[in-house]
Amino acid sequence: MTKIRLYLLLSIACVAGYAWIGVQLYQDRFTDTPINACIVKHVTGIPCPSCGSTRSVLSILKGDFWNAAWWNPFGFLITIILLVVPVWLTVDYRSNRSSLFEFYLHAEAFLQRKYVAAFAILIVIANWIWNINKGL
Amino acid sequence: MDSQKVDMFIMANGKFFESHHVMQIRDRLLAVDDSKWGMIQTLQFKDPTTSLIVSLLAGSLGIDRFMIGDTGLGIGKLITCGGFGIWAIIDWFMIMGATREKNIAKLQQYL
Repeated sequence: MTKIRLYLLLSIACVAGYAWIGVQLYQDRFTDTPINACIVKHVTGIPCPSCGSTRSVLSILKGDFWNAAWWNPFGFLITIILLVVPVWLTVDYRSNRSSLFEFYLHAEAFLQRKYVAAFAILIVIANWIWNINKGL
Repeated sequence: MDSQKVDMFIMANGKFFESHHVMQIRDRLLAVDDSKWGMIQTLQFKDPTTSLIVSLLAGSLGIDRFMIGDTGLGIGKLITCGGFGIWAIIDWFMIMGATREKNIAKLQQYL
């Protein structure tokens, strides 16, 4: 992973994320048919670990944090990423540094530690089971 | 290093690398000291075909990316339903190349 590739990917992801939220807000206001993007849910009928995170982000936008946590706690992670990454990218770009890239490498190394990885996997699986139980 | 040993290595492990890297690997191995042969011979590489299978089956959970060591990208895929499904489909075509890139990065650590 090179710095330029990571920054390009993050920029595309942020633009796509904001565009997606925009589409959802538009759809929320003007139409009734919900847009469902998840391939896993379309193919298998079972929600995936991140199903509901769009609804969670939309709940956060409305200030309804309890509902957001109920839909999917990953929504908080996504909101933080969507808020922090564009600012961080701009700061790095303006000051010609690579602090975000260094942070990414450190975070990756941290997550690859055995116990951290096991804990993270457990959380994801627990959240997935909860998602299936909720029937998102 | 002995050219016979190098050719043996290429024959056994050629499928783990991009074709345009193979000649470069050969040249580097020929220049390397014989004492490294034991270590280079025992290196384990990730099979691109295996990662393709994982990508086809569990790509939208990001497990293919976790498997080749791209933890950050794996999390990105996981929390976005495989990048709204688009990234998951793109990765069906990208993951074999990505695996080969990881393999050459691993080999380069020992050369």
